[in-house]
Amino acid sequence: MTNPDMHIENAGLRGSVPDLHGHHVPARRYPLNETVDAVVVGTGAGGAPLMSRLARAGLRVVALEAGRHWAPARDFATDERAQSKLFWNDERLSAGEDPISFGNNNSGTGVGGSTLHYTAYVPRPQPDDFRLCTEFGTGVDWPLQYADLEPYYDELERFLGVSGPSSYPWGPPRPAYPLAPLPLNGAAQLMQRGCEKLGIRTSPAANAALSGSYYQEGVGWRAACTNRGFCQAGCNTGAKASMDVTYVPLGIRAGAEIRAESFATQLELDKAGRVTGVVYVRDGMEYRQGCRAVFLCAGAIETPRLLLLNGLANGSGQVGRNFMAHTGLQIWGQFEEDVRPYKGIPGGLISEDTHRPADADFAGGYLLQSIGVMPVTYASQVVRGRGLWGKALRRHMLGYNHAAGINILGECLPYEGNYMELSDELDARGLPKPRVYFTNGENERRLTAHAESVMREIWGQAGALDVWAYPRNAHTIGTCRMGTDPNNAVVDTDGRSFEVPNLYISDNSTFPSALSANPALTIMALALRTADRFLERARRLEA
Amino acid sequence: MQPEIYPSGTVRALLETDYVTPKTREVLQARLTPGGSQSPRFFDAQALATLRAACARLIPQTDRTQPVDLAGAIDTRLADGKGDGWRYNTMPPDGEAYLLGLRGLDETAQGRFSVKFALLDTGKRDEILTTVQRGEVAGGAWEKLPPGRFFEELLAELTECYYSDPITQEEIGYVGMADAHGWQAIGLNEREPREPEALGETHD
Repeated sequence: MTNPDMHIENAGLRGSVPDLHGHHVPARRYPLNETVDAVVVGTGAGGAPLMSRLARAGLRVVALEAGRHWAPARDFATDERAQSKLFWNDERLSAGEDPISFGNNNSGTGVGGSTLHYTAYVPRPQPDDFRLCTEFGTGVDWPLQYADLEPYYDELERFLGVSGPSSYPWGPPRPAYPLAPLPLNGAAQLMQRGCEKLGIRTSPAANAALSGSYYQEGVGWRAACTNRGFCQAGCNTGAKASMDVTYVPLGIRAGAEIRAESFATQLELDKAGRVTGVVYVRDGMEYRQGCRAVFLCAGAIETPRLLLLNGLANGSGQVGRNFMAHTGLQIWGQFEEDVRPYKGIPGGLISEDTHRPADADFAGGYLLQSIGVMPVTYASQVVRGRGLWGKALRRHMLGYNHAAGINILGECLPYEGNYMELSDELDARGLPKPRVYFTNGENERRLTAHAESVMREIWGQAGALDVWAYPRNAHTIGTCRMGTDPNNAVVDTDGRSFEVPNLYISDNSTFPSALSANPALTIMALALRTADRFLERARRLEA
Repeated sequence: MQPEIYPSGTVRALLETDYVTPKTREVLQARLTPGGSQSPRFFDAQALATLRAACARLIPQTDRTQPVDLAGAIDTRLADGKGDGWRYNTMPPDGEAYLLGLRGLDETAQGRFSVKFALLDTGKRDEILTTVQRGEVAGGAWEKLPPGRFFEELLAELTECYYSDPITQEEIGYVGMADAHGWQAIGLNEREPREPEALGETHD
């Protein structure tokens, strides 16, 4: 950090960005009148790896990010309320029988996107997840297979510094995780105890948080996790592999420009139907950045919203369709033991024994996970889930230090009736608010019922008192499906639009099915793959 | 399992130490500083009185020497036009929902007991709140607002506000904000010296 110039390999350093501690790091800036090679919209798990890959290949890249560029050690408080600044708080309308909550549940803002508040839980999907229709005759197959993404999973786990077991009990053979597992907290120990009695195998989970200090190529040393347990409201030590401390600095060092607090509103096209520039709003002023290609990485709501607002890339009629959200039922209990659920990596323990349960009456499966929790989130779930109020609520909350949870991450099928659309209500920016319809289908209800019974048994065996269930769905998936047929998909397997040849999508919106694993690792893998395919294509065209 | 009671003053004492980061201290100390009684910016006096009467039952604070100003916090949020990123499609925008819901509480109170909600005794207020929670009210304002959802949203907002208060956090034995040096003792029944031990069980 002594010589800031060491951080930059390119000339033209007129800007600067904050590092973890708020020190200024010089960064490249591109003039507005220059046509850059790529504009990337969004800097989360999709945008950050992609822009960094393109910049390292020598491309001139500008990434637009609606939120701020934080310096976590300086700006992040260990306080849930203060940290609501990390959530996408522009209002969305939640419709259907099982309305999805947005904001803190699944949507982020700021350089790093939702990875600023993801739990860092990074299990790989299993190969059969990509072939759900072949296996069950329902849902859809991916046009890509596990083998297509496997090298990227290997690369990501190495680069991010994933902590996990040396030998993972489920799925195909894979390299040992680069770092030893993080220590188990109270909830993880309780889940281990309950599962042991039932003969359910468990393992320390794969978490993208460092169990030891780690040298990251192109970024430098990152310090080990201090067990703050605050992943879901912002890591202030840089131990969690959010994009702002991994791919974003890597990309900036390679010459990418991050333009924070810049909200993309329009894609400009020439007569041939190619994108020529992106219009965005910053501080109430409109700007235009010319570009040769655009990559939409704004997530499964904002990406289709931008396309619908611009009437683009929707010849298939699939933009906004096939919205999915993982089944995410939580089972809570209070224990005689002191749990102090605010400490340690929240998702310490995993079981994938329920990946394809023998007695299942549904397609797909789920994984099991222990969960820690912060007090405001816990209280909020107690009132929404149980309806406790008055003295009963305050009395229940006196047991917060004894609370522990387990939850599932389960398959969710696409349905005709689950989609997002533009409403006729305008937000503060003067743009139509998105409306999202979501109703769990029969498959999700059966899967959830199976999981509820398994988890209640585990918690019973672990010694839980006062057990209760909190139904929820997590993550935003689908809405710009990837496929091989332009009639029923928005992008091809490279993430490239079937209609606008220099428009790509790289985020959770392209997932054809939900996969029974947390999405972040796969979003990143697809982002690296899309970048590689784009670069190969450019090389082919040059040759 | 009997709920436990924890010593008071724990969080406030920790805020004076380097177990708390400067940013965390800044945020929590600001929250501990009383804002003074400001006149409402969003609600009129009648609506505010109804809201306060509901808050007093949903999160009773008669045992608190410095109660959290829950109604004031909602007034501030609505006046500032802040939201949390989503709302139920069946609900009108937040401000309108609050005005309708508070009017609904008064209408239901008038209909059943011929007085405004705020003038009812605690038992009757609880009775009305319970019927709203169960969605068993109809007519008037409730025609434009699903009562069960209104109740859920109101209760969730009050609860999130109440449990964000550092003194409430002392009450439940939470000291997670004292994490500047991280935590080493994280397993079951493991406690670091700065984590308060329960004084005993409550029997209220």
